[in-house]
Amino acid sequence: MDMPPLFLWLDPYLIWFFRLTDHAGLNFFLGTAAMAGLALIMGKLSSALIVAGSRRHTQELTDKAKKYQDLSIQALEVGDRQAYEAANKMANEAFGKSFFLGVAQSAGFFWPIGLVLAWMQYRFFGIAFPVPGLDWSVNFIGVFIPLYILCWVLLSRGKRFIRTRQDLAGVPNTLTTYK
Amino acid sequence: MRKFSLFCLMLLTVLALTGTGVWAQEAAKPETPAVAPATPQPEPATPQPEPATPPPPAAEPAKPATPEAVKPAAPAPAPAAPATMSKLEEVIAKTPVGTGKGQINPEAPKGYMGIPGAPSHFWLWYILWGTWVGWIFSSVGAFGGIMAGVGHISVFGLSDYAKGFRQTNPTLNKLLTDSIRTSNQYLVGLSAFISSFTYWRMGRLVMPLGLCLAGGGILAGYLVPLFTVGKLDASTYVGFFGIIVFAVAFVLFYETTEKGQASRKAARAAAKAFEDAHIKKGGEASAEQLKGVQVISWGLTRIRFTFYGAEFSFNPIWPILGGFVINGISALIGVGGGFLYVPFLTSVAGLPMFIVAGTSALAVLIGMIVNIFNMMVVRQIPVDFLLIGTELIGIAIGSVLGPMTSKKIPEVWLKRLFVVLAIYVGIGYLTKGFLGQSIFPGM
Repeated sequence: MDMPPLFLWLDPYLIWFFRLTDHAGLNFFLGTAAMAGLALIMGKLSSALIVAGSRRHTQELTDKAKKYQDLSIQALEVGDRQAYEAANKMANEAFGKSFFLGVAQSAGFFWPIGLVLAWMQYRFFGIAFPVPGLDWSVNFIGVFIPLYILCWVLLSRGKRFIRTRQDLAGVPNTLTTYK
Repeated sequence: MRKFSLFCLMLLTVLALTGTGVWAQEAAKPETPAVAPATPQPEPATPQPEPATPPPPAAEPAKPATPEAVKPAAPAPAPAAPATMSKLEEVIAKTPVGTGKGQINPEAPKGYMGIPGAPSHFWLWYILWGTWVGWIFSSVGAFGGIMAGVGHISVFGLSDYAKGFRQTNPTLNKLLTDSIRTSNQYLVGLSAFISSFTYWRMGRLVMPLGLCLAGGGILAGYLVPLFTVGKLDASTYVGFFGIIVFAVAFVLFYETTEKGQASRKAARAAAKAFEDAHIKKGGEASAEQLKGVQVISWGLTRIRFTFYGAEFSFNPIWPILGGFVINGISALIGVGGGFLYVPFLTSVAGLPMFIVAGTSALAVLIGMIVNIFNMMVVRQIPVDFLLIGTELIGIAIGSVLGPMTSKKIPEVWLKRLFVVLAIYVGIGYLTKGFLGQSIFPGM
């Protein structure tokens, strides 16, 4: 497959991560881990921008859903079935809108994965990796996903660790969290 | 309870993934022959740079474009070479060579998934279509997923391209169809994944209900690909897609009718009346409230639980069936699925929204993990990630534009617009899929 111009330009930089050692298998895992980390950080940054761009609207929808949700619980407490069903219906509607807005916003988190996998597709298309101990194999996506999840977990833990350290030291928290 | 929920979620997911992998071994074996561990040499034909410094781009900008450079599988040992062909390459190799319909001309410019002569568009069109999809998601809702599918099927011409191989190479026709629906799944499923996860973290969980839904969803996530991957041709898929579009059109239409509007107004008035009469401000939570969801009994025919003192019960067969149907639609068409759980649980089962959000999210998470893993890793359906990545950029842009414009257009008129669009697309796809020719242009 012919690479698009953007990938051609980026290719020499990205492939560098796949040449860190003399061992081909290890190189592939290191390079894929670097791509996963890159996609994760770019996704976090872009989703923070996207969420900030529609923060007010998001907050309005969330507040509305929460208001009717709370109302339905109060109706349950006092045993008013009719009010519960009405509030629940309204909460459902508000939740739907909030859910789909969230769906669209989440694209801001995932687009780097699409582009990274697209580049890897040009590079590693058709290669199968045997799964140790099993009789089947996975392609480059099967290696990328676990490494991406691992990066996600490590980043979350790292942020939590830094926050805890900051709390202990009395430093104001400057880290943002993806919501 | 939270740890227990997490444990159950992980257990279910691991079981599902392991199961899917084992079940699909036979399917995967001939398609993904293992290569020796040393074979996946990612080194291209470009000269090795110094390990410590990245190579300057100007020094070797064009080299990765050569087939040898972009296909690291090529230097594989000669006997293994034919075996390292991907599923797509194998199918393309069996297609008649030529410039006519249903033929592939190897000299033609490469398009979708690198297939010579396949539809290809300037990347900005993908972003623009994604922006339209994102705008719909953030202003109307469910119809965004449908529009994502319409983009792949009609706007980018993939369905007609696949249909061209019906006589000459049915396998390529079906592989392209699987690719279209998997692309829909990626586009909508991945985004819904994050949204669901957020709700799951903030919601409350009715574990037996979530497990029943997830159980049905896992079954569908296994059975639907088993019976449809490689078997569904483009026309049949488009016909099924038309049925789903009609269902969405019906729901949207009902919401715009006098009855639908009146029902909404009545619900709002009843909620407002209750709010005025009973609203509590800053009250302390009672001991009963703090208990949240309490499962009273598990049974084969009825599961009971209390929430804020009120008792709820359900027959487990309904959420299992619901999970099966909802995730089945998602696995078959590539859209729908996740968002259907909430209306199902609130409208059909009558459960409180407060616990439905978290519970349905559990089912969505497991269902999507199984679907995407099954299509992507086990069955290795090829997709064009460049198309998906650029469309996702557009959806993200649309999510910012939607809230800016939605307040300027009355919601009911937006819904009416999409009812007309849904009927047009629904009839177009139904006739195209099941009668062979769409009665509307542009389909």
